[in-house]
Amino acid sequence: MRVELRSLGKRFGKVVALRDVVLDLPAGGRTALIGPNGSGKSTLVRLLMGMLDGDGDVVVDGTAVGMDRRALAPKVAYVPQIAPRLAAPVRDVVRAAAGLRGRTFAQVAELAAALHLDLQGVARQPFRTLSGGQRQKVLAALALSSGAEFLLLDEPTASMDPRSRLEFFRLVEALPASTSVLLCSHRLDEIRRLVDRVVVLAEGVITWQGTADAWLQEHAEATIEVRTDSDVASAWLQARGFLPGATGWWNKALPVHERAHLLAEIGRNLNGQVRDLMARDSERVAPEATERGERS
Amino acid sequence: MTLRREVAAVARLDLAEVLRSRWLVFCLCVHGALAATFVLVGLRESGIIGFTGMGRALMSWTHALLFLLPLLALSATGQVVNAARDDGTLELLLANPVSRTGWFVGTSLVRVLALVAPLLVAMPAMAIAGSLAFGQPVPWDFVWRGVAVSTSLLLCFVALGLCISTFVRNQAKALMLTILVWVAGVALIDFGLIGVMLQWELPPSAVFTLAMLNPVQCARLALLSAAQPELATFGPVGFFLANRVGADGLLAIGIGWPLLLGATAWAWSLAMFKRRDLV
Repeated sequence: MRVELRSLGKRFGKVVALRDVVLDLPAGGRTALIGPNGSGKSTLVRLLMGMLDGDGDVVVDGTAVGMDRRALAPKVAYVPQIAPRLAAPVRDVVRAAAGLRGRTFAQVAELAAALHLDLQGVARQPFRTLSGGQRQKVLAALALSSGAEFLLLDEPTASMDPRSRLEFFRLVEALPASTSVLLCSHRLDEIRRLVDRVVVLAEGVITWQGTADAWLQEHAEATIEVRTDSDVASAWLQARGFLPGATGWWNKALPVHERAHLLAEIGRNLNGQVRDLMARDSERVAPEATERGERS
Repeated sequence: MTLRREVAAVARLDLAEVLRSRWLVFCLCVHGALAATFVLVGLRESGIIGFTGMGRALMSWTHALLFLLPLLALSATGQVVNAARDDGTLELLLANPVSRTGWFVGTSLVRVLALVAPLLVAMPAMAIAGSLAFGQPVPWDFVWRGVAVSTSLLLCFVALGLCISTFVRNQAKALMLTILVWVAGVALIDFGLIGVMLQWELPPSAVFTLAMLNPVQCARLALLSAAQPELATFGPVGFFLANRVGADGLLAIGIGWPLLLGATAWAWSLAMFKRRDLV
């Protein structure tokens, strides 16, 4: 399913939330929508879902759809960042949502189990008494079992534990190639694993779009931490922009593409003077990575 | 997916929500407590002064319900749409193949059911229980009249509550407005209005019109219309109307006007719900 956003705009009173957004989401495309809080990501998703009325057009497979998304709804599944705090039992919530798409409780339970949630075990519990992570797993299982052609994922793993997040990535990767994904996220590992394209929104306009690799290369950060007792090594590290930490640790954040070069340099210059060395990728998108950037 | 299936799915989920939040049980308890109180009071009085107990008890009970039902209906519906908007329920459900009409109709049906079903159970049950316990004949005409009028009043205030929750996004403001609507409904009965008329010298025509526009007043007159029209019981507006349109006319107005007002408010709310931003 191909979705085109043509000059999409939205204002709330005097506040312009989105301005003249033009975006092509091809069938099978996996796109991340990133941007700081208030940049218009949620507004864009809600316009797409027909929950807001704005300017411009949403065109699905060549046909402009208005606010009535009845034709679109069966093809789209949505995982919200924050699950509603429904008092109804989990079983009823799942049956209602799955039933609307012709799915059964058992089909959802199977996917929930893959995300390490025993849906049958919590079926009688009020939905709101589940933990944030459990609620998110239920919603993820509902979306993944829906057979939708277009998945809208708004921070889908924000409350999940690491093991379940990896499983969620695996399930999304296993979706048919024709399934489109639009992911709103601040997490680098979601961007690395789930998408091939990045669109950056800032103050309601698209400021950058391109491949995920290009964006990660330019904006993803890594941190290198070095522990040393040597004054010479400490001076060398300080000269290269490392900041002192506790108990002899020095650390530096740098773009991912500079990481390998710096590690090699440390190996050459501090040989024998390093007690510990750690290099890790940042988990979240740095605010500067979305605030700067050139207009596409 | 047909509208009927959408409505059924939304209604099932909302019913589970209502049952879990104990609304149905609460309404049944309130109706039951009122019923028990008035049966006992009515029958005791009938023993003392020789009045026909069940009719008096039912009359007193339904009179109390006229004040209570709008409050129950408004509090059960005055924050339905805005709360669903705030907590993400609308976003979750409408991301599925459910139309806005399907959601609104399904939710409305459940709220009506949650309020009307206990009434339909409690009112005849009270009459039968009173009759069995005290050997009094059941005034079935009055029971059905009470059921019809109370149901019509409930439907009216359910619609007004939904209307408030659709138009007022802020839940706290919506709550204040529901209380104001209830106070206006209770206060604008003709005895209160006569006081206003005397205090501020309002023209009688304005007072009569305001009183008759009030669905609570219409329902009250419809209930009282079973009795002999007396100025002391009916009040000036009711007495005037009872002599003009008769008991059947009062009953028709008492059922018809709240229904018409409710239907208009509901249709308007639905139209706005379909057009406005939902989050």
